[in-house]
Amino acid sequence: MNRYSRRQMLRFGGVGAAGLVLAACGKQAGVEESKNITAVGVVPESEGLPNAEVNDIVLLRTAASLEYNAIETYEAAIGLGVFTGSFAAAGDIAKRLRDDHRGHAEAINGLVTKLGGKPFTCGNPRLSEIYISPALGLITDKANETPALDVVVLAHALENLAAQTYQSVVTMLSDKALRQAAMTIGQEEARHAAILAQALNPGLAGVLPSVDEATGKPNVATVPGAFGPLTPIPVTLGPVNPDGSRTSLNLETPSLNSLAYDYVTCA
Amino acid sequence: MTLPAATPTPPTAADRALLGFANSAELAARDLYAVAAELSAFNAEEQTMLVGFHDHHLAAGQALAGLVGKDASNVREDAVYNAFRGKVAGTDKSAIFDALRELENTLVSTHLSLVGVLEGTEGSALVASILSIQARHAAALALLDGRTITDALTNEAAPLAPEATS
Repeated sequence: MNRYSRRQMLRFGGVGAAGLVLAACGKQAGVEESKNITAVGVVPESEGLPNAEVNDIVLLRTAASLEYNAIETYEAAIGLGVFTGSFAAAGDIAKRLRDDHRGHAEAINGLVTKLGGKPFTCGNPRLSEIYISPALGLITDKANETPALDVVVLAHALENLAAQTYQSVVTMLSDKALRQAAMTIGQEEARHAAILAQALNPGLAGVLPSVDEATGKPNVATVPGAFGPLTPIPVTLGPVNPDGSRTSLNLETPSLNSLAYDYVTCA
Repeated sequence: MTLPAATPTPPTAADRALLGFANSAELAARDLYAVAAELSAFNAEEQTMLVGFHDHHLAAGQALAGLVGKDASNVREDAVYNAFRGKVAGTDKSAIFDALRELENTLVSTHLSLVGVLEGTEGSALVASILSIQARHAAALALLDGRTITDALTNEAAPLAPEATS
């Protein structure tokens, strides 16, 4: 049985809360007023982000940053030395696609320069931090039994991400010629994705969407539908966890927190 | 801070004319795939893929018609159909895949040129989403035909010009 009634509890609670409010409002004798009064210790001055404009230059710099993400990922993948045996052909594909991305980056940065912007010549820092570094960490985990396959899975996801990014900026770019330039590269990224999809799920059976009857999950499709999707891209990688699952990441096209603003630089 | 052009802009009158042309070109592709899917050269699995691509072109044509509105002809562009019809015939599977790949690449080039002139972003966004898939069609057709990666990646097709075909 409770020792206090509900009425008593509410009354005590009210008195306690009122005391806390009074204590917070009152000045303490001999204590210098500080703007950090509500914090324990000294809080440094907060620095707001610069007021940045999202314009054609920023969008193109962001596209260039994704190209470098792809270049760096292919470089890392080639450096792992996993493209041997049945994956030797995948190594040749990786080199070809890396070279294409170098060309894309150069073309996009050429447009940036033409518009008066500063070229962006490294991978997108935010996407590297939240997608690529964790993915490469999973792939190179000693317990991972399928590093070569996972590299192709990651590359496929990144190509889809690039294709989606170019498609998504079409509605944001103010200049029609830039929209066309973006999609000229975007359709090449879509072809890259198609090639890697065929590497993962080859032949006629891999062309259109299908479902793995054993798992109920969708198989990789070379042509995922009638229209280019703009949806998160799931990618499952790395060693098998104790519960039998593997880690999944959801890749999404760059947004306000991952654009290559004018003030974002390569470290 | 927000991303620019959060609200897509509708097609202008000039856009609708261009999108109407794209609608007709897509329906020509639809009919060419219908012809291909009926050819005895292809087995059931290949026919399934051809019907799938046929459906994609139909969906693209319908979506374009939706943006054009009541002025959409919803009739295939005969000039496009006739340009490819002779190549989508016979029993040489490889030759037919080549022809269909050329058709897809032609549509990709055409849609790219439209993205460069459409004023309204509703139209350019739709066309961009269509051409992204048709680039995949072309790559798939190249790979299934045993062509090289370079063949899958290369598009040397010239865009169709609305005034030249109507």
